[in-house]
Parts: sequence; structure tokens; C-alpha cells
Amino acid sequence: MTTVTDGLPKALVVVDAERCKGCSLCVVTCPQKSMSLAPSFNRNGFHPAVFHYHGERGDCTACGICYWVCPDYAVAEVRSLKRK
Amino acid sequence: MTRRDFVKGNEALALGALKSGLNAYFAYPITPSSEIPETLAQQFKSPEYPDFKVFLQSSSELEAINMVMGAAATGAKAMTATSGPGFSLKQEGLSYAASMEIPFLVADINRGGPGLGNLGPEQSDYFQATKGGGHGGYRNIVLAPNSVQEMATFPGLGFSLAFKYRNPAIILADAFLGQLKEDTAFPAITKEKFDTPWATTGARGETRHVLVSLHLDFDDQSRHVEHLLKKYEEMAREEQRAELYLTDDADVVMVAFGIVSRLCKQAVNTLRAKGVRAGMLRPITLSPFPSRFVSELASKGVKRFVVVELNTGQMVTDVRLALEDGGRTESLNRWGGILPSSGEIVAQVEMASA
Amino acid sequence: MMPGQEESANEYEVRLGKLSALTSKPTHYCSGCEHGILTKLIANAIDELEIREKSVVIDSVGCSVFAHEYINVDAIQAPHGRAPAVMAGIKRVRPDLVVFAVQGDGDAVAIGLQELIYAASRNEPITIFLVNNAIYGMTGGQMAPTTPEGMVTTTTPEGRDTAYTGTVIDASKMLAGMDGPSYVKRVFLPVAPLRTRDLYSAAGPLEGARSVVNAFKVQLAGGFSFVEFVSTCSINWKMSVLDSKKYAAEVLSKIYPPGLYKDKLGIERK
Repeated sequence: MTTVTDGLPKALVVVDAERCKGCSLCVVTCPQKSMSLAPSFNRNGFHPAVFHYHGERGDCTACGICYWVCPDYAVAEVRSLKRK
Repeated sequence: MTRRDFVKGNEALALGALKSGLNAYFAYPITPSSEIPETLAQQFKSPEYPDFKVFLQSSSELEAINMVMGAAATGAKAMTATSGPGFSLKQEGLSYAASMEIPFLVADINRGGPGLGNLGPEQSDYFQATKGGGHGGYRNIVLAPNSVQEMATFPGLGFSLAFKYRNPAIILADAFLGQLKEDTAFPAITKEKFDTPWATTGARGETRHVLVSLHLDFDDQSRHVEHLLKKYEEMAREEQRAELYLTDDADVVMVAFGIVSRLCKQAVNTLRAKGVRAGMLRPITLSPFPSRFVSELASKGVKRFVVVELNTGQMVTDVRLALEDGGRTESLNRWGGILPSSGEIVAQVEMASA
Repeated sequence: MMPGQEESANEYEVRLGKLSALTSKPTHYCSGCEHGILTKLIANAIDELEIREKSVVIDSVGCSVFAHEYINVDAIQAPHGRAPAVMAGIKRVRPDLVVFAVQGDGDAVAIGLQELIYAASRNEPITIFLVNNAIYGMTGGQMAPTTPEGMVTTTTPEGRDTAYTGTVIDASKMLAGMDGPSYVKRVFLPVAPLRTRDLYSAAGPLEGARSVVNAFKVQLAGGFSFVEFVSTCSINWKMSVLDSKKYAAEVLSKIYPPGLYKDKLGIERK
């Protein structure tokens, strides 16, 4: 769930939940603690990763670490807000 | 055919491969085949063979066959040569290549075996070459030259058949042929190029070339084995090759390949002079085995097939398979590098008919 | 997919996303396996260097046997351990192609050690990525030449006794000791726990990404490149994913220290 206070989130991480194997590498490496594992299951029986723009330590900065550490390409895209 | 050269069988094989457009040779020495890479090493960089692009000595026959496999996967004409102990090492590569349908040439200059054996001629790698040798249900194309002339022309035939069927081809010769020197007329350098749309030369857009031998799904593997089987059946229908010598009115037919066939030819002549209606069937393709030739002779009334080979009895099993009742074969075997004389062959034929 | 994706498409630019050298097939790799990370790093390098249409991946035997299913380039499967020889054959007749293989520690350091050493000795312009997780993964967790003293495997149920079974073989040090190879590097690929915060460092995959690109650059410049990735195998080590990263950081990185062991072309300085 994203909750936004003013305007759009500055960064967005797209997770393909069905590819995720719940390894939690993205969860433990995110400096902002923006990723967690869902309590629900995907079709393969894993708890897939879920993105929160407002992480426990701060907002996502599109640093890309989650993308690089994901072994399954489940973290499929890291997007940042275009500057106007 | 132009020049005539007086060369060794091994040299003729090497030069014959060059004439047929050889691109790459991966070498490992082993007696009695080493003159093959040595001849090629001397011709490497010769302006006469601009297509001969790679000559590389590898660290083992195992490394060599895998290099051949890689080069051939790009559509190049690749080859290696060896003798029994090295041929054993290559069986893994042959199995993989047969499954992935990669064409190339391997020459086995059969020496005494098993194990290290000796350096004399034998034909004891027959089963290994024709029945697989490596794991799984596949077949090699196997050609058996019987003269230095054929050592010169069979590489071209081998490459043609290999690329036609996308299958490894073996030239099974022996230590005698490898070292024998005879007059040889070499063909002109071929201009033939093979079409290889399957070769791994780089993806084009979304079209990829993928050569694999692993088919984990049982149905996929079944379909693949069936595809290979159909190919081998087509090879058996279209590519059986043999020489028939004085068999039209023969009562007794000798069956022999390679150097032994030369002795049998002499034995046929001797027997004919004595009034015995003898003939000879010389398989040229050992795989596919020329079964059609055997059964045609049997149906024409040939009662005796005398199989002469330098082993303890290998090709005789294929002759028996080709005959309806399988009971009319006799064997004359020698091994350890020892050849029978044509006189001994004559004696065997006469004794059995008495 | 997150709610609001569709409307947001115009406002956002994709910083990291689809790789043309990666197929869309879900992988067979176990949860948290470095093979998956490496596959992505390779696809990233192929895209960055724009070599997709002249690359050939050589599947080895082990967990990398399905490399062709994930990396969107031409492919050929090699027998166990023979990838360096197959790659040499391809490269000698087609020096314009880029050939690479992912090999496990069994494939490269046991059965294929001779082929590896000779390709290195010839400075064959090929690229080998070694995934060293100190065990035989695909076959279910048997001892490997890289298995450390005391590690329990299915063929060393009491823990490996190196006095009886042999001491570990360090492929990077062995190759770096030869004159032939151009680039020998060892990367610690797993995410590693940081002591000061309850956070894991992603330095491994990030360093790995650069090393893969450098390895291809070395091949394009005509040299033999070899990158050993110290990795984990949580399933066969019988550990959780995160525990396996801790074990790798505490034990394996000391036996197999990361570093640049050889860089004849100075590719890392460029």
C-alpha cells in the first residue's frame, strides 16, 4: 500500500509477485526498509516481496539495490519521478 | 583426379581432409595415427588451403573432441584423429554431438586392444564405432577405407554424409592402412559449402540457435529419440555402401572390410583359379551396415558367408542379423596385430566345404 | 503490481528495468541463490556492451545447465567440465563471437579442471564465471573440491576430513599463478550482514555487475577472463537463506578471499 502525503511518490519499485520466491534479500538490503514480505502467498507458495514508498527508515530513493540483489527478476523495475 | 602421390595412409587421410575443405583440426598424438596431425601441422598456413584456418594441439583427446564439437557447432568443417585408447575418451563427446546433431569427422586408426594393447592393426573397435561406444541410443556414420586411395577420398565422403544428416562420422581404419604407402590420386580442392541454418553464430533478433541434449520432460525426450531413430532409419535406407567382387555366381562369399578385404580379394582369385565359386562382399559403410547386400546374396542362393576380421568376432554379428536364419556364417579371426595370409583364408574356405 | 501503475506511467522514467538479454522464463534456481543474481548481471553486461547478437552461452552441467533458458542469446550445451574446450573450438573458428559459460565448482574445479587450466594457459579469449558454493548443488549436496574442512555433505556425513579426501582447491589462486590468463578476479557475491546495523550490504552484487562487464571487455580485447563468485547453497548447506549468507561471509570469504588476482590489460583501471 502506498500512502502519499503531497503529490506522487518520488520513486516506485515494481514487483512481479508471482516470480518472487520470498528470499528476503531485498528486504534486508534496502537502506530505507521499504520492502517487506507479504503475509499472503503467491501461486508458488512463497510470501512475495511488497514495496512501500515510505519505508521504516525513510522514503525510497530509487537507489536500485533491490533490483540488483533480486535473484529472480521479481523486482522488475525501479522508476523515479521525472523532473518537471 | 590430377597428381599421383606415393604417400602413407595417414598422410593421405590428412591431405584428403584438406582437399575436402577442412576448416579446423584439433590434435592429440597417439600411435599409429600421429602422422595425421603432423601432416596437417606442416600444411597449416599453406596458401594452397586458405580454408584451413585452425590447427591446435590440445591437452587430451577429451579436450580435442570438445573443441571439435564447438567449432562444428558454428558450421565449420572440423576433425580430429586418434586410435583406440583416445577413441574411448571421445565417446562422451560423440554421444553429446549425436544428440545435438552436430556434424564432424573423427578418424580411428584401430590398434591392438583392449587397454593399451599394442601398435599392430586390429578391427576390434568395430562395436565401439558402429554400436555407439558412448551412452544412449545413437549411431555414428562409419566408413571403412581399404586403401590409401580411399583414405584420401573418404574424408570428403565423410563430411558430405555428416552434414547431410547432421551426425558425427567416423573413418575406421587400422594401423596397417595408416602406415601403408600406395599410389594416390588426390581430388581437386572442393568448392562445396554446406548450408547450416542451425549453427550457433549469433542470435538474429528474437531468433536464437540453441543446441542442447537435455530434454527433462519425458515426452520431449521421447520425441527427440524418435527423431534420431527416424534419421538412422533414413540413413539405413539411403546410404548403405559396399563393394561386390565376383559375387554374381558365388557359392561362398567372404565378408571383410579394411585391409583384410585386400587379402580376401587375393583369396577369391586363388579359389577361382582352383574352380571354387568364391566372391567377396566388402562393406564400405559399417554403419549403416550394408544388410541389403547380405540378404540379396542369400536370396540368390549363397549358402556360406565367411566373415574374416581382425577381432574375436564383431562384424559377424551384423552379418547374422542381416541373414534370415543367421546360421550360415563362419568366422576367421586374428588379433593382436597379426593378419591372416590369403593362403590361410583359402584353406579355411576349402576345409569347410570339404 | 502496485495500484495506480497505469496512470503513473507517464510521470515516471524507468531507471532499471527490462533487459533484452534476459528471457521472461521464471528460473529454477532455489530461493536466494546467487545463480539468479549472476544471470541478471550477465544479461545486464550483454545489454550494456550491445553484444547480444554475437554472444553464445555455453551451458555447463550443474545448476547452470539451464542458462540458455534465461539468457537470450545463442547457446550450446557442453558435457560436464568441457565448456572451456567447447568455447575454444567456437572462438578459434569464429573469433568475432563472444563466448561465455557459467560453471559450478564441480564442473570447473573437479571434472573440468584440465580444460580450465589449458584454456587459461592459452589465454583463450573466452569468459568463465565460476559459481563457487563449496558443494555439488544440482546433484543434491555432495562434496566438492571446494568443500571446506568439517562441512557436512551427503558424501561426507561426518563432516569433510581433508586429510582423507583432499584439501580445498583455490581456482582463482591457481589460475593467477599462471602466465596465460589476462583477468582473474574473485568476487564475494552474496549480500553480507553489516555488523553495525541490522542491514545487509549489497556490495557483492554491485561489485559483481562491474566484474562481469570487465570480464567481457577483456574478452573483446583478446584475453582470457575468469571471475569466481563465492556463493551460497542454502538448500544443500541445510541453512536458511540469510544464515547461508552469514556462513559465506564468516567462513567462505576467509578461505576464498575476494580480490583482483590478475589484470594484465589493466581493465579495472580504465
